[in-house]
Amino acid sequence: MIPSNLSSVALSKCIVYFKDGNCGTFYSLDKSHRNARPNKILGLKRLEKMLLLRFKGKWETAIIYENQPNGREIAKYRDGVRLF
Amino acid sequence: MELTPVQLNYDFGKLFKTTKSYIDNYNKNNFELKSRINANHRATAELITRLYAKQLNKAISRGDSFEDGFPGFKTYNPSLASCKGCTVRTIINHKERLKAAGFIIKEVHHGKTGIELWINPLIFDERVKKIHPLVQEHQEQKNNNSDVNCLINVTGTLQEHHKNTEESWISNFDNAKANELEPAFLQGLVNNFWNYARSKLFPDDIFSKEEELKVLENITTTIYRNFEVKGSYKDWKDYQDGLYERVEMVKRWLDRNPYRWIPSAHLYFHPHNKRNNFKSTYQWFLKQQNLKRNIRNRILIQKAEKEWLDHDKGEGKHKDKSRLQLFRLQLKHLESYRDKTLLKVYENSLQRILSKKLTQ
Repeated sequence: MIPSNLSSVALSKCIVYFKDGNCGTFYSLDKSHRNARPNKILGLKRLEKMLLLRFKGKWETAIIYENQPNGREIAKYRDGVRLF
Repeated sequence: MELTPVQLNYDFGKLFKTTKSYIDNYNKNNFELKSRINANHRATAELITRLYAKQLNKAISRGDSFEDGFPGFKTYNPSLASCKGCTVRTIINHKERLKAAGFIIKEVHHGKTGIELWINPLIFDERVKKIHPLVQEHQEQKNNNSDVNCLINVTGTLQEHHKNTEESWISNFDNAKANELEPAFLQGLVNNFWNYARSKLFPDDIFSKEEELKVLENITTTIYRNFEVKGSYKDWKDYQDGLYERVEMVKRWLDRNPYRWIPSAHLYFHPHNKRNNFKSTYQWFLKQQNLKRNIRNRILIQKAEKEWLDHDKGEGKHKDKSRLQLFRLQLKHLESYRDKTLLKVYENSLQRILSKKLTQ
């Protein structure tokens, strides 16, 4: 079950700029089960999977940030290709 | 009270200075690269000077006065080579150059007992009074033959205590156990392996810092077992070479067919991945090594059999040798591979050849 305070507990977030002009922020699910220790890599992989499978062909740019104020960029995608 | 005469010894520092000035003077007049004394020749010259001075100082302490002229520097080419960390041939070449430069004036070969060199007397013309070291010396009688208190460096030569006060780190390099190994060395192994595997197996993938750290952590756990296994530096280096070969093997396997794939790096090295982990390449690697060894053995045995056939016909390079000589020659060659199965196969093939002859 997705926790209600996901935006505050997630370790990373993904901002997606869709081709239709919309923009969305998605927070990572970093736990493999409810009582598990948060795993940042797991969250990143899930976000990547979301971009490449769920929203395949629908977005233009996506940036994954650390979910902190002034969090740094972790990865950047453009047209399905990872730039860094 | 009777005064003991003052012993004049050779000082290493002064000898090095004279050696240096001699070589510099020689180089000033020689511009051709083939006749100049380069840094390597210089090092050999300094080594010879140091060891010779040691021999002379020992002779002086025994009471020799060198009235009949200087004794030669008695040594062996292999021991000089091992001291310097090079081959015997290099030492011979260096001696040739030093002879041409006039540094070595004479060389006599004594066969089994080594060689004797005479160094230019210009270098050994100054002696100094032996100054006692400022540190307190042991009052008990020294056993010169004992090497208990002497440090042994990587070349196997004994070092004087007062010349080298620090413990030789390199001496224990290969004998050190895993728990004594430097963490930087172990981390270096992991990093090198990851860089190699990344360049070969995941050349197009981009990894963020966090992902890379996770992969390194997984590699340490899965492939290096958190360095819980004890081993020397050499063991780890050998293991590392095996890992590189395994990566190469996987790379070749991938290149053979475009439909073949491996999971992404964080899964490929994950400790809980039982299905397609990099760890499973070990059995594959062993199998390949066995196969390679078998093929090598087969080729060697075929070669040996051919030699026997040629020998019987009176042909080949071993035609002048007796059968026993040929057998010993082949056995010696095959024993150098240190493979018991090879020797067993060789025995079987010999029996086969002999039985064939008997039936004919």
